[in-house]
Amino acid sequence: MTVKALYDYDYPAKDRQENFGDDILVHVLWANNLMFCAAACFRAPKAMPWSDFKAQMIDPWASSDPGYDPAAPAGWQVDGGGAIDTGANPTLEETGVGHKGLITFRT
Amino acid sequence: MAKLSMRERYSLLTRDLDWTPTYVDPKIVYPYTRYEGIKIHDWDSWEDPFRLTVDSYCKYQAEKDKKLYAVIDSFAQGQGHLLLTDARYLNAVKLFLQGVTPLEYQAHRHFGFLARHLDGPGPRFAALCQSIDELRHTQTEIHTISQYNKYYGGLHNWSQMHDRVWYLSVPKSFFDDGLSAGPFEFLTAISFSFEYFLTNLLFVPFMSGASFNGDLATMTFGFSAQSDESRHMTLGLGVLKFMLEQDEDNVPILQDWIDKWFWRGYRLLSLVAAMMDYMLPKKVMSWKEAFELYLEEQMLNGLFPDLEYYGIRPPRHVEQAITEKEYMSHQVYWVLYNFSHAAAFNTTIPTAEELDWLSASYPDTFDRYYRPLWDRAQQIADSGGRFFYGGLPMLCQVCQIPMGFTEPGDPTTISVRSSEFRQERYNFCSDGCKWIFDREPEKYVQAWLPVHQIYQGNCGGASIPDVLAWYGMQPGDGGEYGASPDKASWDEWHAQAAAGGAE
Repeated sequence: MTVKALYDYDYPAKDRQENFGDDILVHVLWANNLMFCAAACFRAPKAMPWSDFKAQMIDPWASSDPGYDPAAPAGWQVDGGGAIDTGANPTLEETGVGHKGLITFRT
Repeated sequence: MAKLSMRERYSLLTRDLDWTPTYVDPKIVYPYTRYEGIKIHDWDSWEDPFRLTVDSYCKYQAEKDKKLYAVIDSFAQGQGHLLLTDARYLNAVKLFLQGVTPLEYQAHRHFGFLARHLDGPGPRFAALCQSIDELRHTQTEIHTISQYNKYYGGLHNWSQMHDRVWYLSVPKSFFDDGLSAGPFEFLTAISFSFEYFLTNLLFVPFMSGASFNGDLATMTFGFSAQSDESRHMTLGLGVLKFMLEQDEDNVPILQDWIDKWFWRGYRLLSLVAAMMDYMLPKKVMSWKEAFELYLEEQMLNGLFPDLEYYGIRPPRHVEQAITEKEYMSHQVYWVLYNFSHAAAFNTTIPTAEELDWLSASYPDTFDRYYRPLWDRAQQIADSGGRFFYGGLPMLCQVCQIPMGFTEPGDPTTISVRSSEFRQERYNFCSDGCKWIFDREPEKYVQAWLPVHQIYQGNCGGASIPDVLAWYGMQPGDGGEYGASPDKASWDEWHAQAAAGGAE
């Protein structure tokens, strides 16, 4: 079904990937800590190595909870499926997460 | 000449002053009433049960205004704000002024549009009256609440905030969705779904909250608007039945809109749920009780059996709303608590007495899932901290609420749904929001999502202070209530009054 209108109804998406250049929006959910009411949203370069993404983005955010231990996160997954081999330090793009995709972890 | 009866005057006004255009095709005079697929064969079969005329309308409204402004004046002169249960109550008023008052104005504008663009003179005049009502509500709400602006934060820039702030994009996008639809969908969305189906869950909690918490001014505004609201409710049901009776082909279209606008409105009301259970120092009733009374009992058991006659069934996804009545207010207030450093109201940990009230009101969920979060927040506070979410949240593409809702029946798992449209991914908080997106993706891909806009550099800068300045907020508007200027002033004024009383 499409929008009923009196004219040709076709507009570009407001958050389409090209608006972010070489970056993408990535969501990160700390799945078993409901202190964080929802997953976080970050803007990061697709080519960013995993270690930088975690240290520069995830760790400062997760540290909002004073009980956060940066060594504790495990079970990294993309969109509830593919595991991320964090030891291989992939780039964000290599993890398989897409623009507005979701990465989850547990502690 | 003998004086005409009200019925005769109404008939003259709405029928005799109308004419059928002959020089120009009516389809050109009224261009918006055909493309949605709704078929109207006889506009004259619309009957306004109130039969308002201009003179009677003005007379009633003037009397009500006179009473309201007398109360506002005496409330202001008597320092009525000091008689509230607590300054904390005003957070509910802030949410109302920032979130609801601008919707009244939008309703005023769009009913003005309908007063020009509906084919029938009866519906046009009813839309005109409602348009004036909505403008009057906007003004009286501003005047009623403006007196608090002298003493408390968060009330000084509500109009700009409504257009820019993340949690206000929830009500704004709801109404924009209605305004950008055709006239019949708008009537289903606003007149029926919002003003009839869900109104008691919006209006009653705010106005009863005012009366329970010593806010005589807002309570009087509520009384002053009440007769208009009951007229809007009657019109809302009337307009739905009118559309249903005109043609059988209208039924599936209207069912689809009822399904959509139930879920849109219900998600919007989650802000009211959070307000009821957490922002009122003196509680009226829990969200769960209100939901059971107004939605389950009055609407699902009262209205929908009646609509079955027309072939209308209860709204899609309503069973998920029933499941969520145990969780929703807690999840949404937790979102507001997490992010109140970026809001124009304060939040705080409920008092011990309130936590017990929440346990008693939600015996199956509160102690198990939500009290532990508050205990943890208290631990952090005891060591001198305050838990704030140090980042930006994932938002639902449709309702725009941070995605803090859980899987139906599983309060420990955050619910995430997504759809792909033209090679781009979109995320949703629920089956209801995903269903709404999937039926009109071209519309919702244009959503102005506050978090994504910040990341595109459209909100004043990259840091929180930059964004808050762009929102038009001032220091002290948001954050922890215990450390707020509102609380400091309130304590000081009451200490002075106590000292003065002892002399």
